Parts: sequence; C-alpha cells; structure tokens
Amino acid sequence: MTESFRDSSGRKVMSTASANEVGSVGHLLVDAQQRRIVSVVIGHGKKAHLVDWAQLSGFGPDAIMVVDEDALRPPADDRERAATEGNLELVGKRALSERGNELGQIDDVTFDADTGVLEDLLIGDRRVSAGSLLGSGSYAAVLDESQAPSP
Amino acid sequence: MTASQIRGLPVVTVGGGEDVAEVRDVIYNPEAGRLVGVTLNKRGFLAGRHHEVLPAEAIHAVGQDAIMVLDESSLVAPEDAPDDVGHPATERNVIGDDVLTEGGTSLGKVADLVLLVGSTGEVVGYQIEKADGGRGYIPLPAQLSVSGVALVVPNITEEFVQDDLVGLGATVDEFRARMGLT
Repeated sequence: MTESFRDSSGRKVMSTASANEVGSVGHLLVDAQQRRIVSVVIGHGKKAHLVDWAQLSGFGPDAIMVVDEDALRPPADDRERAATEGNLELVGKRALSERGNELGQIDDVTFDADTGVLEDLLIGDRRVSAGSLLGSGSYAAVLDESQAPSP
Repeated sequence: MTASQIRGLPVVTVGGGEDVAEVRDVIYNPEAGRLVGVTLNKRGFLAGRHHEVLPAEAIHAVGQDAIMVLDESSLVAPEDAPDDVGHPATERNVIGDDVLTEGGTSLGKVADLVLLVGSTGEVVGYQIEKADGGRGYIPLPAQLSVSGVALVVPNITEEFVQDDLVGLGATVDEFRARMGLT
C-alpha cells in the first residue's frame, strides 16, 4: 500500500508486545542511495528515539506497530542526531539537480508501507520517480536531472 | 553565467546533499581560458575563510544555484592541490585589463568572466566595460595572449561583441568556427 510522508507524520506508534503507545512519528530517516526508509524517528529533539524499519511489525493506516518497546533506541551517530533534530526531513527540502540547478521544494514523498521503499517525490505539481534520488542531507536532496527535468 | 555569480554559491555534495562550503573566489588561468579551481568560505553564521580549496578537476558541475562535488574529499588542502590552485599567481587576474584587437582597437576593459553553465569551468567569454561605460560581452578563442595589463584578441572579435549573455551563448560556436578552432 502506498503511504506518504505528510500523511504519516504525527501518527501514533504502538508496541505490539505491550499494546502501549510509545509515541508518534516525528520524522522518517531515508537512505538516499538505497531509496528507502531506514528508520522512524519517534518524537522530536533531545528526547527523540529511533526504531529501525526491520523492528516494525506493521506501518498501518492508523498506527505504526513496533515489535517491542526495547526496539526504541537513542540516535547512534551524527546523521541520526541530525534526523532527530529534523535536519534531514525530506518534506520541505530543497531539490537540487546534480548539475547544480534548483528544481523546487519537495512537498511530499510516497513510499510502499510494506517495504519502506520510496516511490515518488512530489515537487510542486510534478511527480518525480524516487529512482532519481542521488543523495539527501541537511541542505538539499540531490536528483538526477535526466530523470527529474527542470520546471 | 559570470564569475561574480559564482561567488557565494554553496558547494554541495551529490551523494550527501550537504553544503560543505561556499565559493569565496574563482581562480582563473587566462592562457588556458578556464577556471583551475575556486577558493572557499565556510558556510553558516560563523563564516570565514575555509582553509581548503576546490580544484576544477574535482568539480562535478557548475550550476545556477550550486557548485556540485561528489563528496567532501573533493575539497583539498592548498599544499595537496595543483600549484596553480594551491598557490595561484596574483598577476593572473584579468579583471580591469584592456582588451585590444590585433589591429590596435580597444574594445573596453575586462569586467567579468563568462562561464559555460553546466561545465566544470570553461570560460567562453568576458564581460567588458566599453569606453562609453556600457556593458558588452566578447567570445574568447580557446587560447590568447595576456600580459597582466592587456590581452590581445583577433580583429574579428569586434564583430562579435554582444549586448547580453544570451547573445554571447549563441555566438561562441560561430566565433570559434570562424577562428578555425572547432
């Protein structure tokens, strides 16, 4: 099933083992080279935790299910810390071609809720395949211009 | 685009999407007609001179909004860079030089460098300030002689003086064909 970053933001995160609510979706951390979500950031800022995608039992329309509360962990490196601070959030990020030209702003990203694989990037009124994604960081998401033509 | 438009552009990694530096100034080799690299400033509020430089060979693309590099290792210490990048000769600056045709006509003074967008730093022309104060653009042959005070261009350059960058872009190929360079 196709999900979107915007729609799933703020959705509650539940533990499958205890049926307790453990928080809500703050951000989704992406590996641009693999074009997939690698972890879910629960909450924001210093108190935020991460759950790796493999530790989810389901990314559902009403709740994101984590196998166990023990799967929640603090950020392990600088990149994950940047993610908890929201610096790597794809939605709202500047889209830049690898030729150095701005293409617009990423308004939303769709993905497969079963696998976490990214599908499309919505840039203004254009829909660009996530296959064009070359890199993503705090400044910009870099796209292959041949697959993401200029406006 | 011109060299002055490049100053201040962020230097962004293709693989990381990070702005690792910004352009302080361009380093130009007038004999070769191309940028050999750029000097850098740090990004952010505590901006200051960045110790490292970016050689042209490490530039992935010069765009309208950013200079793209593959990753942070493209930035190198001056002592590890080619000599003309790490220790550029100061008299290499052509800005303000008189542009003279072989026939002895002054076309104006060099005001800025014009680069091919999307290239890794090929300089295809100069913006000139004419004697009457107006701006013009001249195409460059691949090679020409420069002294540090003046540069000498072929007589036919005078026929190719353009009023704007778009006009220059359209005329470079024709100019070089006339010069027998393409």
